[in-house]
Amino acid sequence: MNRDHLPQGSTAALVLILGSLVWSLLGAGLQLLATTQLLVPLLDRLIAAPWFGYGRLVPASQFLLSYGWLGSGLLGVLLILAPRFSGIAFRYGRLLFGGALLWHLSIFGGLTQILLEGPSGLVGLPQPHFVSILLILSFLVLGTGLTRGLGRTWKSGPLLPRLYLLLGLLSFPLGLGTAELLLRGTSAPGSVQIITQLLWHSFHQHLWLAPLGLVLIFQLLPTLTGRAVSSLNLGLLAWVATCLLGGWLGTVRASDGPIPSWMQSTGVIAAMLMGVVALGNGLLIQNLTEGRWEEARRNVALRFIAVGAWSYASAYLLLAFLALPWFRPVFAFTVGWTAFFEVFNFLFLGCVLAGSIYALLPVSRDFGWPSSSALTWHFWCTTLGSVTTASCLLLAGSFQGLALNDPGVPISTLASYLRPFLFVVIFSQAAWLVGQIAFSAVLFASLLKLFPAAAPMAVFRNPPVVRPASVGHLHG
Amino acid sequence: MKPVRALSLVLGALLLTWVAQAAVGYWQVGRLEPVLNEDTNLTEPPVPSGLAHTGARVFAAEGCLECHSLSVRGPAGSADLTRGWGPRRTVPRDYLFREPAMVGFSRIGSDLSNIGARIPETEKLMQHLYDPRLLKKSSTCPPHPWLFTKLPAGPKPEPGALKVSTDGWHQLIPSYQAKALVAYLQSLNANYALPEAPLK
Repeated sequence: MNRDHLPQGSTAALVLILGSLVWSLLGAGLQLLATTQLLVPLLDRLIAAPWFGYGRLVPASQFLLSYGWLGSGLLGVLLILAPRFSGIAFRYGRLLFGGALLWHLSIFGGLTQILLEGPSGLVGLPQPHFVSILLILSFLVLGTGLTRGLGRTWKSGPLLPRLYLLLGLLSFPLGLGTAELLLRGTSAPGSVQIITQLLWHSFHQHLWLAPLGLVLIFQLLPTLTGRAVSSLNLGLLAWVATCLLGGWLGTVRASDGPIPSWMQSTGVIAAMLMGVVALGNGLLIQNLTEGRWEEARRNVALRFIAVGAWSYASAYLLLAFLALPWFRPVFAFTVGWTAFFEVFNFLFLGCVLAGSIYALLPVSRDFGWPSSSALTWHFWCTTLGSVTTASCLLLAGSFQGLALNDPGVPISTLASYLRPFLFVVIFSQAAWLVGQIAFSAVLFASLLKLFPAAAPMAVFRNPPVVRPASVGHLHG
Repeated sequence: MKPVRALSLVLGALLLTWVAQAAVGYWQVGRLEPVLNEDTNLTEPPVPSGLAHTGARVFAAEGCLECHSLSVRGPAGSADLTRGWGPRRTVPRDYLFREPAMVGFSRIGSDLSNIGARIPETEKLMQHLYDPRLLKKSSTCPPHPWLFTKLPAGPKPEPGALKVSTDGWHQLIPSYQAKALVAYLQSLNANYALPEAPLK
């Protein structure tokens, strides 16, 4: 398929990807500010403004990173990938472009509302009602574009990415739409609202974002390594298990909380089983990446996606660990859970997204990456930053949990248990931000063709010429 | 796998999850009713006032949930009851009249499920909101001075003015949001028994 056939769809993808970078920088900046406030409470007193409060910065950064960075970015790269899945060009490119703009507009609206008016207090839904409606509308436009030709060309390519795409595309509008209806459209009793919030939280994390990440893993890893998925049956089993279990994972956090006890138990069992599912997918990933580390050292796209794929397995194993009966009471209400979201969002989804941009954007926009050193900075700063943050938060969470469960420890001293870890977290979050700034700078410079391209595809040191992301395969 | 089969499998799985949680959840806890206390002739949990209802929105908007939870657990595997955060564990019936229903999954500060019983005094809660360090020097809770209006002091303090020392020329008047937030905090009082959660 000729790239020239997809000018408008390609523009929508570019708008989504560039916007996602901007939101990631802003979101990570706000996150860094919030962590600094937790470490130095005096900051709150220096700037006494509601929008600067810790209670608004945290939900604002979570909203930006989740919907702005990961949501936009994943949709953007999928808009590049989808026509290559199906071999059918987008017909209504301008509509897609409008959908992409609407998505960003709703993110901007959500950000300003959370900072100026405050979050809603609902789990996974900090944004106001109108922002959710705008998000659903724009997703319907973008999702319709993504599904074009999916059914007709079902048998012409790998099955697993299509299955995960189907799951991701259906769960977002269904989950968000019904959650909005029950939580803000009708007056459901408070006891039901809690269940609905946890349900949407599960849909958002495990049935929308995770499947979109898995689409990219199972499409791009075989393409970049030149290997096929070793066991389709195992992959299918993992997909069916994800469909059935993903929606229950949110209730793990509310174990011993105010929801029916059978839901708590189901959530815990689902988390354990998802650990097994992640191991199953891990076997497939192992077969895809085995013996390819030398190539991954040179090919930045493969490197990011491989790290992201392994982080997927690590994230769900960590979730299973947090759900174990011995550790659940220790980590409840602690920053240990933030460690899980760090691995899930930054290492799994963030790395897969970055690798996909490296692999797909040059295919779509016909450019090469200019500087290999900046790409190296991007990789090491973001991955090491995220690994350090997650490790520190997990350790901090264990101390916090032990202190919480010891009635002899005054609650006012709790923050002092976190301080040494928060100190390191600030540096590691700053490192991630530096890496992301390097990536953004390279990307903008490449698009504007400010520097001559060193290689058509991202490479590390001593670059051998690498074919641009096996474009032929991607063209399907 | 054919696309139609895959589509029906995904839709079936999503529907099953929704029905099992939202619909069965509604059937199980959504139909709970408040219990009538025959001594006071009031319902338990009590219906919050309109001001407290507004206060719940202020509580959410100020992001208090990022540090405080609203759910007491225990007695097994948790020190919540020993810490005195509540007389019993929190159950779904406690949330019947809460709008929005908030749980909170972080504890940098204490649980607030029973704060209305622990700190019933309006003045103390107001002072905590204005500057938590007025009551406890080591508090890491951020101040909320924007919830108060600073007015020039007159010959007499305005009704409701905070009893804190300012520069001597001013007095601090709680805004409507501050009053609503305090009303909400005072409404968080779990000192009543429920059939499924008797007082310890």
